[in-house]
Amino acid sequence: MNKTLLAGISAAILAVSVSGASAQTKLSRNEIINSLQGAQQEVDVSADELQKAAFENIQKYPGANSPGNLPLWDKLASLRQFNVEITFDLNSARIKPESYETVGLIADALHTPYLQGQTFYIVGHTDATGTREYNLELSIKRAKSVREALVTTFQVPAEYLQAVGLGEEQLRDPSKPDSGINRRVQLINVGYR
Amino acid sequence: MRRLIFAFTTGVLLATAPAAFAQTVGFAEAIKILSVSCGKDIDKFCKSATLANNGIGKCLAENQAKVSEKCNADRAVVASLIQERLAAQAAAPKICDRDAAQYCKGVKAGAGHILRCLLKAQPSVSAKCNTAIDLAGYR
Repeated sequence: MNKTLLAGISAAILAVSVSGASAQTKLSRNEIINSLQGAQQEVDVSADELQKAAFENIQKYPGANSPGNLPLWDKLASLRQFNVEITFDLNSARIKPESYETVGLIADALHTPYLQGQTFYIVGHTDATGTREYNLELSIKRAKSVREALVTTFQVPAEYLQAVGLGEEQLRDPSKPDSGINRRVQLINVGYR
Repeated sequence: MRRLIFAFTTGVLLATAPAAFAQTVGFAEAIKILSVSCGKDIDKFCKSATLANNGIGKCLAENQAKVSEKCNADRAVVASLIQERLAAQAAAPKICDRDAAQYCKGVKAGAGHILRCLLKAQPSVSAKCNTAIDLAGYR
């Protein structure tokens, strides 16, 4: 009796998580904590500088595509970080209900003592379809939207979260600029400041 | 379909409750209830509302006459689940103060060091503090 019940339960859980995970493998709070904890380095790149660098990159290297790495990026690349996929309405910063759970998981992680007191950049990225200017603006709005959801709905202290949008200036896979793999929200632990 | 979801929720309750003795749930688990119970209503009635500043909650409240019964019941539950977890997390450090002083002497505060110490010292730690850690979702 017990065994059947248990089997039934795990079947239900499997069914739900498989369908929920079609776009990404099932994410857990601890996975986010493990990737983000242990900030040690001093980082001298402010969120404003990073944001400015993205705008300057478009001015300096105009054209359909970004030439590659943002100059400041190397300083952030070695920091503790994590990429998540959050889905938004088309051309909008409105988070789709299907991604509420992912935002909740980020909140679960940020509310643990392992990560409390450290500052995080929430960096929005798009793929390369559409103009660079448009993508940059959209990614800024989306990063802000995630930050606001964390700060208001889940009450993560506002002083520890900064939103930055990089549009298509820092692709995850430059060999496939239009691929969905480039659309992501990146959390970067910039330590105690 | 509705029965299936109900069965699933019961399954989760059965599966998680005994493992953690948790009376609070995490933020992800709480907000997931909102997307499951209210996802369709949100997409129908709250196309321009966002998760920020309780926009979704306000929109669903404004449209409560049109929103599904299940969603109306669950949206209040979700809000209180989030508040309960926040309260439990705020309370835990104070409740565990004495245990930390006793079992984690010399452990540097910050970056979860004290929590790690308290988790390791679980058998000696007071029942009150262990429960507080459970309720905060810190185990």
